[in-house]
Amino acid sequence: MGFDYNSLLAFIIFGVTIGVVYGIVALGISLIYSGLDIVHFAHGEMYMFGAFFGLVLAHNVGIPYPIALIGAMIMTAILGMVVERVFYRRLTRAGGGYTVAGMGMIICGFGMSVALVNVAYFIWGAEAEPFRANLDYIPRLTFPGDIKVPESYVLTAIISVALMAALHYFLRHTKTGLAVRAVAHNKDIAYLMGINVPLMISLIFGLACGLAAAAGVLIGPMQSVQVEMGYLMLMKAFAAAVVGGFGSLPGAIIGGIMVGVFENLGAAYISPSHKDIYAFLLLILVLMFKPSGLLGVEAKVKA
Amino acid sequence: MGILSSMADFIDGLAKRHRLLPWLLAYLFLLPLPFVLATLFNEYLIDLANRICLFILLAVGLNIVKGFCGQVTVGHIGLYAIGAVTSAVLTLEPGGFGGALGFGWPVWAAIPTAVVITAFAGLIVGLPSVRLEGAYLALATLGLGESVRIFIAVTPALGSSTGLMMIPAPSIGSFVFDSFTSYYYLVMTAAIVGIYFSFSILRSATGRAFQAIREDTIAASVNGINVVKYKLLAFVLSAIYAGLAGALFAHMPPGYLHHNNFTVIEMVTLLLMVVLGGIGNVWGGVIGAIVVAIAYDQTKDLVFYFMDRPVVVQPLVFGLSMVLLVLFMPRGIGGWIEDFQRNRRFIRRSEERLSATARNS
Repeated sequence: MGFDYNSLLAFIIFGVTIGVVYGIVALGISLIYSGLDIVHFAHGEMYMFGAFFGLVLAHNVGIPYPIALIGAMIMTAILGMVVERVFYRRLTRAGGGYTVAGMGMIICGFGMSVALVNVAYFIWGAEAEPFRANLDYIPRLTFPGDIKVPESYVLTAIISVALMAALHYFLRHTKTGLAVRAVAHNKDIAYLMGINVPLMISLIFGLACGLAAAAGVLIGPMQSVQVEMGYLMLMKAFAAAVVGGFGSLPGAIIGGIMVGVFENLGAAYISPSHKDIYAFLLLILVLMFKPSGLLGVEAKVKA
Repeated sequence: MGILSSMADFIDGLAKRHRLLPWLLAYLFLLPLPFVLATLFNEYLIDLANRICLFILLAVGLNIVKGFCGQVTVGHIGLYAIGAVTSAVLTLEPGGFGGALGFGWPVWAAIPTAVVITAFAGLIVGLPSVRLEGAYLALATLGLGESVRIFIAVTPALGSSTGLMMIPAPSIGSFVFDSFTSYYYLVMTAAIVGIYFSFSILRSATGRAFQAIREDTIAASVNGINVVKYKLLAFVLSAIYAGLAGALFAHMPPGYLHHNNFTVIEMVTLLLMVVLGGIGNVWGGVIGAIVVAIAYDQTKDLVFYFMDRPVVVQPLVFGLSMVLLVLFMPRGIGGWIEDFQRNRRFIRRSEERLSATARNS
C-alpha cells in the first residue's frame, strides 16, 4: 500500500483552516497578555459565548450569517469589558506581577471560567446545537487530487485573514492602536504621555473577546455549538500562543496553524481518539525546551 | 475567643510534654466518629468522612507546592488520577472486564508503587517550573493534568468510558477494609499522618528553603539554596500526597473508578479548598477541605429549574465563590488563624512583661 499524498494534503489543508481559528483565539489571549500581563483563563468561555450569541442572532433573530458574526463580536466584546471592569480590575490594580497576587489572578480566571460555563448552562442548556448557516454563495474550493473544501472552511479562511489584516492595520496605522501598543509596552510611561490607560485596557479586553467570538461563530457551522466547547479551545489556543511565543501576534497565528496541522496529522496517522492530547503534547514540549516560543520575547522571569 | 484560647493553651501544654501528644489526642478523638455518625445520622456520612480525609490529603499536598513554595500548579488532579489508576490497574486481575489491564498484585504492594510512580510524574510536572513561572507554569501543569484525564478517558486499557470495576480492597490477614467504617480508619490515619508530616516539612530546613524560594527566588539562590532541587522536591512531595490519596481512593468501597472523578470541577473544588483555607496555611487548608467537601456533597444533587430545564447549580456557585474569595478574602480562613495566633502571642508576651515588672518592683 503506497503512501497517499492526496490525503496527506487534505489533512494539512483542514489542519491549516482549523488552525487559523485557534490562531484567532490565541491572538486574543496574546493581546490580553501583552496588554495586562495576565493570562486570561476564561477566554475559552468568551469563545463559547460568542458562538452562542451568533447562534441566537442567526437562528432566533434571523440575521444573515456575516452580520450575525459582527453582532456576536460586539456583544461578546461588551461582555468581556464588563467582566474585566467588575472583577479583574480589582486584581490588576494591586499590581501586574506574578507573585501571590498573580496566583490570585490565575485562580480568579479559573473560577470565572467555571462560573461562565454554568451561566451558559442556565441560558442555553447542555445540548449541542447545530449551527445552520446558509453559505451557498461561497464557492467550493477544489484542490488538485480531488480534495473538496466545504464552504464553511473557505469562509473561515477568508474571514480570519480579513480579521487579522484589520487588527494589524488598527495596531500599526491608527493613533488608538499606537496608544494600545504603548500601554502594552509600559503602563506608567503611557500614563505620563496622557494616554487613558484604563480605557485602553478595556479596549484591549473588548478586542480580544470580540476575536474569540468571531472564532466561535466561524467554527459553529463546522462543529455544533455547545456549552463545554470553550475548555478544549482554550487549551489549544494556549498551545498556539505558547508555540508561537506569548505576546507575539504573528506568532499566535503561526502557532495556531502549527497546532491545527499537528493535531490533524496526529489524528490521521497515530490515533484519532487521542486527538485532543496532541496539542497539549506540543504545548508541553515547547514549554520545556523553548519557553519563549518561535517568535516570542524571552519568557518573563521575576527580577 | 475565651474557649478557643483555653483550648489553644491546653494543646500548647500537651505539646510541651511531648510533641506527639496533641496528635495522639486528635487521633483518639476521631476514632469513634463513624459510630457517632452511624447512630446519629446514617452510614452515608461515613463515606463522606472518608472522602473528606482524601481531600485533606490532596489539599495539604497542594499547599506544599503552592503555599510553601509559591509555585502555581493547576494540574494536581492529574497526579491524583495517576495514583488512583496505577494502583487500580496493578491490583486488578489480568484479563478483566472490558479489556482493562490487570497485574494482580497485592494491594499493599500496589499502593506504594502507585505513590512512587506518582512521585515520578510529579517530578515531570515540576520540570517546567525550573524554567517557567507564574502563568506559564499554570499552563504547563494544566496541560499535563488535563492530558492525563483525556488519556485515561480514551484508553480502554485504563477503563475509558466504563471505568475500572471490582478493584480489590486492602486487607490485613483475614480482616478486609471493605466497609465504609473500616476504610475510615485507613484514610483517617493517612490524613492525620499527612497533616503531621506537612508541619514537619514546614518546620524543617527544607520548609524554610521552600519559603525562601516563595518570597524571592533570586535572594534564595544567593543565600545558597539550590532552587532547582527544592522546587522539584516540592513538586515531588506534593505528588506523593496526591498519589497516596489517589491510591486510597481507588481501593475505597465500592472499588470503582471512573475518569469523571478527575474533571475540571474536581480541580476547581480542590483549588477552592486551598483558597478558602488561605494559601500557605496548613490548618486553613484542612478546614477549607472539610468545609468545601461538605458543601460539595450537599450541593451535588441540588438542581434548580430555570425555564423548565434542570440546571445543576454547584459549579456556578463554586466558580463564583472562588472569584469572590480571591477578590474579597485573599487570605482565607488561614488569615483568621494567623491573626488569632498573633494575638495570643502578643497577649502572652505582654502578660510576661507585666509579671516581670511586678516582680522587679
